[in-house]
Amino acid sequence: MDGITNLSRRRFVFGTAVTIAGVVSGFVFSNEALAELIVLDKDKKILGLTPSIWVEITKDNEVIVTVARSEIGQGIRTTFAMLVAEELDADWSKVFAVNADGDPKYGDQSTGGSTSVRTFWMTLRKAGAQARQLLINAAAEIWGVSPSDCFTENSFVYEKNGTRKLSYADLIDKALELPIPPENSIKLKSVSEFKILGKAHKNIDEPLFVTGKAVYGSDFRLPGMKYAVMLHCPYIGGSLLSYDDSEAKKIKGVLGIYRLSEGIAVVADNSWSALKGREALKATWNPGSNQGLSSETIFNTFRSLLGTLPELPKSTIKELNATYEVPFLAHSTMEPMSAFAFFQDGKCEVWAGTQNPQTARNSVASALGISRNNVKVNVLYSGGGFGRRHINDYIVKAAKISKASGFPILFFYTKDDDIKNDYYRPASMHYIKSGVDSQGKISGFYHKVVSQGDVFYVEPPYNISDIRNFTEKHNFGIPTGPWRSVDYTQNVFAIESAIDELANLAGVDPLQFRLNIAKSSRLKGVLQRVAEISQWNSALPKGVGRGVAAFEGYGAYIAHVVEVSVSDEGFLRILKIFAVVDPGFPINPENIRNQIIGSAIDALSTALNAEITIQNGQILQSGFHNYRWLRMEEIPDFEIDILTTSEQPSGMGEVGFPSVTPALCNAIYNAIGLRIRKLPIGKTPLLKSDDKKNHYEKFHFNTYPNPFVSKVQIEVIINDFNKPSLQLIIYDFLGKKLLEPKLSNTGNKFYTELNLEVYPPGVYYAVVCLDNKRYSFPLVKTI
Amino acid sequence: MKIIVNKTEYDIDVEPNMPLLWVLRDILNLTGTKYGCGIGVCKACTVLIDGYPEQSCSIPISYVEGKEVTTIEGLSINGEHPLQIAWKELSVSQCGYCQPGQIIRAAYLISKIPKPTVEDINKEMSEHICRCGTYKKIRDAILWATKD
Repeated sequence: MDGITNLSRRRFVFGTAVTIAGVVSGFVFSNEALAELIVLDKDKKILGLTPSIWVEITKDNEVIVTVARSEIGQGIRTTFAMLVAEELDADWSKVFAVNADGDPKYGDQSTGGSTSVRTFWMTLRKAGAQARQLLINAAAEIWGVSPSDCFTENSFVYEKNGTRKLSYADLIDKALELPIPPENSIKLKSVSEFKILGKAHKNIDEPLFVTGKAVYGSDFRLPGMKYAVMLHCPYIGGSLLSYDDSEAKKIKGVLGIYRLSEGIAVVADNSWSALKGREALKATWNPGSNQGLSSETIFNTFRSLLGTLPELPKSTIKELNATYEVPFLAHSTMEPMSAFAFFQDGKCEVWAGTQNPQTARNSVASALGISRNNVKVNVLYSGGGFGRRHINDYIVKAAKISKASGFPILFFYTKDDDIKNDYYRPASMHYIKSGVDSQGKISGFYHKVVSQGDVFYVEPPYNISDIRNFTEKHNFGIPTGPWRSVDYTQNVFAIESAIDELANLAGVDPLQFRLNIAKSSRLKGVLQRVAEISQWNSALPKGVGRGVAAFEGYGAYIAHVVEVSVSDEGFLRILKIFAVVDPGFPINPENIRNQIIGSAIDALSTALNAEITIQNGQILQSGFHNYRWLRMEEIPDFEIDILTTSEQPSGMGEVGFPSVTPALCNAIYNAIGLRIRKLPIGKTPLLKSDDKKNHYEKFHFNTYPNPFVSKVQIEVIINDFNKPSLQLIIYDFLGKKLLEPKLSNTGNKFYTELNLEVYPPGVYYAVVCLDNKRYSFPLVKTI
Repeated sequence: MKIIVNKTEYDIDVEPNMPLLWVLRDILNLTGTKYGCGIGVCKACTVLIDGYPEQSCSIPISYVEGKEVTTIEGLSINGEHPLQIAWKELSVSQCGYCQPGQIIRAAYLISKIPKPTVEDINKEMSEHICRCGTYKKIRDAILWATKD
């Protein structure tokens, strides 16, 4: 039996000298928020009780829950601890979580598809209940009473009709002598008996986060360690021709340079020396077959593959033919990918934030040519995951560099590396051909998805008599991978936008239209509730619009209403987001709210601004300065409601994303009648077509070039030179004032050259203020 | 070179242009200050230098000679700064990675404006990126920490 001995005395402050052999697994949260890396010593006498691989009870009456899914910000460590603690009747203030290393004995450890809760919901509750029964049996035996005469509360067993009580810790010795109760003898609590589940619980990791003590992949330290970065080929699918490292080797602190199949690794005493060494490398690259490849080529090819769709049923009286377009996206986690690896004596141990330690273990074994049994992958905190950490490229690189150099290695990507070496959210085009009949019903819904072959279609969650799906592909070799809510991000944008367009064709309110055709009563439930909290039917001022969209997936249901305003200048403001989610049973309502709001901000950021573009076979983006994310001042208000409709929980990390984007676009349509079918929205000026002119009675407006990369010339030619009360103001597309440039003039021609180099790509507005009137002109900045 | 971090004096031997971030993380093993972008955009690496928030990724170590650096590890003993308490009370963090930088800037904000308004908070905190989207909770926690 494995066990943790005397836990509290084994809490080592991170960074103290520990020997590699002594570091076994993970880290733990402690109430006192003191030291946090747990060093387990399995050779010591076992004092704790481990009825299963999931739970351990210590001599200090602490409960240690083994978490076999990765914490990436979804709160899984708290959730899993709650599941065990509930059935164990544990004292919540003494419940801790340790991360499992990658090992098949834990079942599937892939943290993806929002499956963690659904997979482990019963397993962990049973583990808690089993431990509780064992402790009751031990107390009953000590007291000479029947187990049914005992009850448990806050990590103690009590005698029902007596005064005797024993802590779980006091029962360990007796429990070790007893058989572990078989799983089929275990009775679980009913929902009405829950004391922990269904109530808001604080994040058990917060004390570590707020003190900087949480150990992420990039924070792991061992004596004798070195730091490494890699020079990667800048061309997707390209290769190294030759390199010269003579200058790099002269950089102080650089210890070694290694050519690997993935690139050229620079190993140094510290991160800075490694980066300086890399800067001094000279390399020539073969661009490979993607030379000349651009986003334009990719989308033109996708467009050419849209082809035709079958004729709609004859009952169709109004037809929709719409193409929706979504770009590649990078995950752009806050913490760029990093991993710590130590290869020694034919064995490799890894510490990293990863969403799949099992595949990481296999990949490292295969890359190093050693057995999986000689690889151990410890899971640390991840500074964001969003699907990126399913691909363990960075872990394999760390392991290979450790093997090549002989050092314990912390390998890291810079932000630029991270964006340029991602496995992107796939781009896709969606051709939807649909229509309505004389009853206002959808006559048929044909949907063709064109991608690199990496986007599968999704069916609308509605009763539609004739749904047909098609796919076409052309693979350009752009690496893609899972990205929060995977195929839904693209499909639900297309489908829920099309449903909105169909509602308009049918002349039916878009929320009512969805209620009329929603298949599931739970989907109807969230739609009805979101109509109530958003006061869907109330009147709105001019320029303000509401949009709705709904989604079901991951065992849950959600409806969003987004409220926006679009000013005469084109400024977009997202005023409020209403979300109603039906998770079935809400395990931790507070965490659900966090996930729904976080997903919405993720969705807004991508819908408004984010895009990965390719030019000449290279990724152009390199950081948050040209891959823009929303800031605090840009986020809307939120109102979230959670419905409890069943005793089964669902996944909450992804469900809050997909319907936000179409609800936002539907709201913009509702506000100004402009339909957005191409993301990101921030590339499209939000001006009605009659506003898009350059000639006015009083003046003429010119820009050159437009679109522009960094500099744009603006000139305003005034017709009536006698009244030059002229002002020019530059705004971003959300209406934030950026610049008020001074204008030079020659006669009636006023001009300036703007340098918008520091601003991210997207739409900006030049507003000409003349005689108390404002005229808005879009400036389109490209990368 | 002598630097003062969290009221402790360190004598370090590094190149004068090495950014403070890497000195903190790699030389002093103070890993609470995070690397996010390396070019001063995301602000995850924010520390206080003589009380003012600066991006440690873009500050050469020679600049802080003789100045006082405060990192998340030095903000309080045992994580009991009012902001840290508020963060814990409201469960602000998701992945948690940007939060040390956020808390450091929030500490500067409330040292300057003890009772900030929502507008004050938005203005100051919009310097930072949180990829998980915890902005609302960050704002709520600052208000919670500074309420009467």
